[in-house]
Amino acid sequence: MTQTKPKRDFFAVRSPVGRVQGTISAIGIWAVFFGVWILATSLGWVNELLVPSPQKVLAATYDLFVNRGFSSDVLVSVWRVFISFAMACSVAIPLGVAMGTFASIEAIFAPFVSAWRYLPAPSFIPILLMWFGTGEAPKLALLFIGVIFFLITLVMDHTKNVRKELIETALTLGASRYIVVVKVVFPAALPDIVTAMRQMLAMAWTYLVIAEIVASTTGIGAMMMRARRFLKTDEILSGIIVIGVLGLLTDVLFRVLHRRLFPYLEVKH
Amino acid sequence: MSDAQLEVRDVSKTFSLGRGKTLKAVEGVTFGVEQNSICALLGPSGCGKSTVLRMMAGLETPTEGHVLIGGETVTGPGQDRGVVFQAYTSFDWLSVRKNVEFGMKANNIDAATRRERADHFLNLVGLSKFADAYPSQLSGGMRQRVAIARTLANGPEVLLMDEPFGALDAETRWLMQELMIDVAEKTNTTIVVVTHDLEEAIFLADKIIFLSTHPGRLKEEITPEFKAGKRIGDKERIIRMDGYSELEEKLMRLMREEGHRET
Repeated sequence: MTQTKPKRDFFAVRSPVGRVQGTISAIGIWAVFFGVWILATSLGWVNELLVPSPQKVLAATYDLFVNRGFSSDVLVSVWRVFISFAMACSVAIPLGVAMGTFASIEAIFAPFVSAWRYLPAPSFIPILLMWFGTGEAPKLALLFIGVIFFLITLVMDHTKNVRKELIETALTLGASRYIVVVKVVFPAALPDIVTAMRQMLAMAWTYLVIAEIVASTTGIGAMMMRARRFLKTDEILSGIIVIGVLGLLTDVLFRVLHRRLFPYLEVKH
Repeated sequence: MSDAQLEVRDVSKTFSLGRGKTLKAVEGVTFGVEQNSICALLGPSGCGKSTVLRMMAGLETPTEGHVLIGGETVTGPGQDRGVVFQAYTSFDWLSVRKNVEFGMKANNIDAATRRERADHFLNLVGLSKFADAYPSQLSGGMRQRVAIARTLANGPEVLLMDEPFGALDAETRWLMQELMIDVAEKTNTTIVVVTHDLEEAIFLADKIIFLSTHPGRLKEEITPEFKAGKRIGDKERIIRMDGYSELEEKLMRLMREEGHRET
């Protein structure tokens, strides 16, 4: 006897969609996007100088990587994000955990950190250029400033969310303050801290592009500004796509990392 | 009451609510808990029973009076007084066995002893098969058993429990209560349990401390005489015993009186 599947109402409120419908929907929206793009360029609805066809962008991407050494620009960009983000994390995570654990530390740093959060990082570009010249330092500094204050606040908030009972349990088991912080508070907050890192990494990419567009001769952003000078819209769009793909890749990487580091979050009875 | 292992001596607790407002949660409470006994702190919600337990644990400091363990004043939390909370407190990132070993590890007990004691207490609470599981794979009742095993494995003199089975469904709660009788008999641990469940208090306690509300004062110290100093490890048996329903009625009346006072 075969069971007949009840047909799902398309506008069923808050009921999950099946795998097939999900896949079709996801592919569909992109098919429509590229379809409109291809139509618009091949039928001449738009100026091809300003909006190149997807085929042209693809060809430009290939040319950039194979003949023009674009991969070194990409590597420079990735390296900048990685180094500055690592530096920001190495300060923000210990400080955020300390602020979330000890009210006395929070009382010192919170007024400072929350003020800095409202200063847009790109407003520091002119002064960073004067201080650090045109080398790597101003770019790394911009990314560092852009990320660190938000990261500190997020880490602090996640640390504060560690339930009081967990801390009290450890204390009544005879744990020292050091053990409470290192073996209970930190591991309890860590999954959320890694999620915060994932969110902030996206922000680091944003500042990277700003830094490279404004003041750089290397990197993805710099390539895009060069392309602008020669009216190479296809190369500009290539740059955007590469940044998008890199962002997506790091996001996936962090998700895999999250699953690997915290297997206990996946299992439910 | 000088033979008491744990003494609460004229203890009061006033909380500051900010803006100069204060709340007197507990006032002038005195009682003792004898070694190897089970004592239930019973009362309607808002009677400060949890606050009394937290002061015994050293997690709150009395505004007046003292808590003494073995004649020494309690100044903070310590290994001699283990606490099991109502909320789940499993360390989710550690396996069940590592959870049970946590306190021992914090107290620098060697790995072999840790393992042996963890296995012993996991066996006692019936979780040997789940030693390598993560707490998130377990049901609510099993998680509380992990918490109990973890506390006992640390070798406390007193086990303090704050409505430990409040979040569990009825059948699981009965099983856990029977388990506690078993644990008390096998480990000779002094137990103080906070509850608002009359049945639980009568079933578990050698002595019931009844607290009144706003502020929490000692209303009555009750010994369930019908048990004749013995523990009955079987829920069905105890409710059929002579004297059970009289005691339940009496406690219910006390609860009602307090409830009326509040409204």
